[in-house]
Amino acid sequence: MRFLQEYDQFSLATSYFDLREYDRAAFFLKDCVSPKCYFLYMYSRYLADEKRKLDKASDSIGPPDHLDNEHLKTIRIELGKKHANKELDGYSLYLYGVVLKKLDLLKDSLDVLLEAIEKEPLHWGTWQELVPLITDREMLLSLRLPSCWIKQFFIALVYLELQLNEESLKIYQDMEENGFHKSTYIVARIAVAKHNMRDVDAALTSFNELNSLDPYRLEDMDILSNLLYVKEMRHDLAHLAHKCCDIDKYRVETCCVIGNYYSLRSQHEKAVLYFQRSIKLNPLYLSAWTLMGHEYMEMKNTNAAIQAYRQALEINKRDYRAWYGLGQTYEILKMPYYSLYYYRNAQRLRPNDSRMIMGLGEAYEKLDRLQEAKKCFWKAHRVGDIEGAALLKLAKLHARLGEEDQAAGAYNEFVNEANALGLGKSYSYEGLSEAYIYLANFYVKHENLDAAYQAAQICSEYTETREEAKAVLKHIQQLRQERPSIPSNNDIRMDDTFGSIPNDSFQSHNNTPVMNFPPVMNLRFNTP
Amino acid sequence: MADNGEKLFTSSNDSHNVFLMRERVQVYIEKHHYESALFWADKLVTLSNGAVEDVYWFAQALYSTEQYHRAASCILNRNLHKTDMRCRYLAAKCQFACKEYQEALSTLNQIDYSASRPINIRMSFNVNQSFTETEVSTSNKNMESSMNLLRGQIYEAMDNRTVAMECFRSALRQDVYCFEAFDLLVNHHMLSAQEERELLDSLPFSSQCPSEEEDMIRCLYENKLKKYDSPKEVTLPDSLVSLKDNLDISVNLAERYYYNCDFRECYKLTSKILAVDPYNSNCLPLHFAVMVELKEKSNVFYLAHKLVDLYPNRPVAWFAVGCYYFLIGKRDPARRYFTKATTLDRTYAPAWLAFGHSFAEGNEHDQAMAAYFTAAQLMKGCHLPALYLGLEYGLTNNPKLAEKFFSQASSIAPNDPFLLHEMGVIAFQNEEWDAAEKYFKDALRRIQESDSHQIIAEKWEPLLSNLGHTCRKLKKYDEALEYHQHARVLDPQSPSTYSAIGYVYALKGDSSEAIDYFHKALAVRRDDAFSTTMLSNLVESLMDELSSNDDAEEDNPIFEAPTGMSIPKFSLDDSSDCLPAPQQPVAPVMRLTSQLHDSSFSTENTSAVDSSSLMIEEVEMSDCD
Repeated sequence: MRFLQEYDQFSLATSYFDLREYDRAAFFLKDCVSPKCYFLYMYSRYLADEKRKLDKASDSIGPPDHLDNEHLKTIRIELGKKHANKELDGYSLYLYGVVLKKLDLLKDSLDVLLEAIEKEPLHWGTWQELVPLITDREMLLSLRLPSCWIKQFFIALVYLELQLNEESLKIYQDMEENGFHKSTYIVARIAVAKHNMRDVDAALTSFNELNSLDPYRLEDMDILSNLLYVKEMRHDLAHLAHKCCDIDKYRVETCCVIGNYYSLRSQHEKAVLYFQRSIKLNPLYLSAWTLMGHEYMEMKNTNAAIQAYRQALEINKRDYRAWYGLGQTYEILKMPYYSLYYYRNAQRLRPNDSRMIMGLGEAYEKLDRLQEAKKCFWKAHRVGDIEGAALLKLAKLHARLGEEDQAAGAYNEFVNEANALGLGKSYSYEGLSEAYIYLANFYVKHENLDAAYQAAQICSEYTETREEAKAVLKHIQQLRQERPSIPSNNDIRMDDTFGSIPNDSFQSHNNTPVMNFPPVMNLRFNTP
Repeated sequence: MADNGEKLFTSSNDSHNVFLMRERVQVYIEKHHYESALFWADKLVTLSNGAVEDVYWFAQALYSTEQYHRAASCILNRNLHKTDMRCRYLAAKCQFACKEYQEALSTLNQIDYSASRPINIRMSFNVNQSFTETEVSTSNKNMESSMNLLRGQIYEAMDNRTVAMECFRSALRQDVYCFEAFDLLVNHHMLSAQEERELLDSLPFSSQCPSEEEDMIRCLYENKLKKYDSPKEVTLPDSLVSLKDNLDISVNLAERYYYNCDFRECYKLTSKILAVDPYNSNCLPLHFAVMVELKEKSNVFYLAHKLVDLYPNRPVAWFAVGCYYFLIGKRDPARRYFTKATTLDRTYAPAWLAFGHSFAEGNEHDQAMAAYFTAAQLMKGCHLPALYLGLEYGLTNNPKLAEKFFSQASSIAPNDPFLLHEMGVIAFQNEEWDAAEKYFKDALRRIQESDSHQIIAEKWEPLLSNLGHTCRKLKKYDEALEYHQHARVLDPQSPSTYSAIGYVYALKGDSSEAIDYFHKALAVRRDDAFSTTMLSNLVESLMDELSSNDDAEEDNPIFEAPTGMSIPKFSLDDSSDCLPAPQQPVAPVMRLTSQLHDSSFSTENTSAVDSSSLMIEEVEMSDCD
């Protein structure tokens, strides 16, 4: 009834609202009482103030001022009064929840949003606001949510957000099979889930599918650009950047894509510029902050990096990349306790990401807590080492602690894995030389001269260990001469050692005597 | 007597002419053509050969044209002040206007000797002319009440406030409708809240007013009584519902909102009032107060400008200018304009208070106290100056004197939550945690009583924070957390609340939560030394505690064991916190105090503001009459 009476004001205000003249809209709704008008009134006021704040922020350089929240407080008080009298409808409750969340009153916000969902279960905005408030799976399960088809979407999104990617993927795939296969939203979510699982190629195919379904969709393109960045697919990234720029130059996603592109080309200043632009467009755009942090790290501007990462965390506390970035920066700043703390947070968010665990291990190492460091490195190795440095680190640690057997075991396994992967990777290169030299010395010590000989042979291939390898080889020769029981063909080999590096030595890695080294490592690691 | 002279006159001369002339004088006076009135009255006096009535009106016209000396001497020369009551009153009033207080007083006091005679004469005449007895006695009483009022004003001008108060009181008793006396009493803060109430109860409403008015007038007066000594609900009594739209009542309502710290509601109402009546003098000071509270800089600026243009000789205009400078943090010009307001009217107490605040803001405690002392002398029945004096002594580390002033204030207004809170702060500084808790809780209860919805105004965030600090000192950590969280709801994203919460968690041994909150605090205020040190200590200890991080479950046992180790560290901190006040952890507490001080400042400030400005309006009005 009321609403019909106020319909004229309402339509006038809606028109102003659509034209983004929020203050005007609010003015004409000032005296309306129907819930719909009231919501529009409050919402226009909220948006008007947010717009003002945004405009002000984009005039100044630097992070937005989070203290400038007077208007939010006013709105909160007014809504709070109405809420106490139970006069709010589902939409106004939603707004109340949003405001509370902005004011960092998360607990109240959660309650209000749940109430809003109860009243308007089909308002997806409310569900979306609820997502970041959920900290873990137990909490999700304990929520009392109305059973509605939309709930599945919510749960899947929460899983995705909580990095429970498999669960999320399963739900989305179910949906896809049950008639949502044309939904760009679902396809995009699946792509994101795969991205999170580091299943790069699958994610790329999903994105391709998305692209054919809806070529002008800019949402989530920043994630695609991340993928392309990781795969170092320069041309694809350039193409994507150009395409996005054509579609809409002033979109946060576009700016992020371009930023990534410049970053890949090592033009970090330019990259920062674009990330900044994206932040100006939307200060709450998470990935821009994180990526900007990364860029600052590249530019060795740790202070700015910390700022950027912290902003990212203010927006979403579950951004593991930002936590990890903070860990790294503090590591650079030689504040190991802080670095440890941040790595821990990152690791908690992604328990099975070796990078976080490695970070932890290194921090522990810096703090001279070697036992814990050992555990971390081992775990990093076990969960699937991405950077391939875990075993090497572990081995070094063992060596440092004088646990020769284990050190040798670790080096051995490292060598095995490196060989299995092929030797193209540069990172293992120096590691390999080190591993072999250690192994060589180790075998010599244990009088396994064949193995020692082989290892030393390989060592001599690397420039940095060549001299040492020569010494070891000489030593082996001496030992052999003392004990003549050694087969002759090895002798021959030994003689033509240093100068030319025999190719077969590479192949011989696979069947190095290393294999017969006792593989008891695992057992030992479980009882550190 | 007038009739007497008139009779004489008619007999001797052309009566028609004189009657017409008298009528003419009246008409001109009514139309504010004082000069014409004066001209004809002068002629009348000669024609009637100095008839009392004519002289009276002549003097009246002189008064209206601001020729006070002339008016006074015109009456005094004829010795009419000895015989006629009205003339005596007028003569005294003229002398008062000339600031000849002693003379005015002696003129007035002549009444007492010859009081009986003129009344008797009057009575006899009245009987002759068939006036009823009661009417005469009321009009007579009215005259006496006016004289008492004037006497009170004179005494007040002579700084003899106790006598003045007595005069006002008797004026009011003689004529309960004499709002002026009531207003002067209330707005000059001559009475404490209790005395005000007693006065109201003792007024002879039933004998002086018709029964249907009795209730209304009582409610109207009650509505005007002190509003800031204890928060109450905003409702109108039934008998005033019909006056709901009256602006004066609305102003009172707005004031009520103000003292309940519901500033936005108050601002809405005052803006509405000023839209109807742009220069409503009762509303303006309140409006400024609330604008200062809401930091409406540009509106203060605009309105202050308009006021200075329109009423340059009223203190409220300069007070407004001072408010503007105060608001934008320029203390020097603010002080200058507050001084200007006080020189325009020495009794303008709000300007004195604001003057004090401008010093207090800049930590110039001695000067602030001097200003507050002056205010204290000017408003005996108001507890605010004492409250501020106590506050200043507290800030200058003089808790003994502070307590003295607080107890003085509490003898005037025992229920003011601001006062209770300040007393709690002093107790806190004296490390009497239990007492502090009691005070704080008392204050909280009073605030909650005032509001049916149990929504506490944001203004009270310091109170809740302080309660949190106190509970922490008493080792009631959970309760402390609760209060801090509540404070956080009232004023979200305040760094000191964050670090306070973090601190409590740290004391509870929940390092990771604590770290979280200290992070938040530092995100808002980067240079917070306390949070920084706490954070680095906590991070180190937490990381030392957590040896195996592989799984959360594994963490826990190890986590628990060393907690014992970390606690001494923090409790050590805590002790350092409480004992030497000006050390780092005091920072939150100190800040809160000062914040609170701020808060109480503006509230009180304005309360005083409206009241005394009202007073000024009154005085000026009487001048114009």
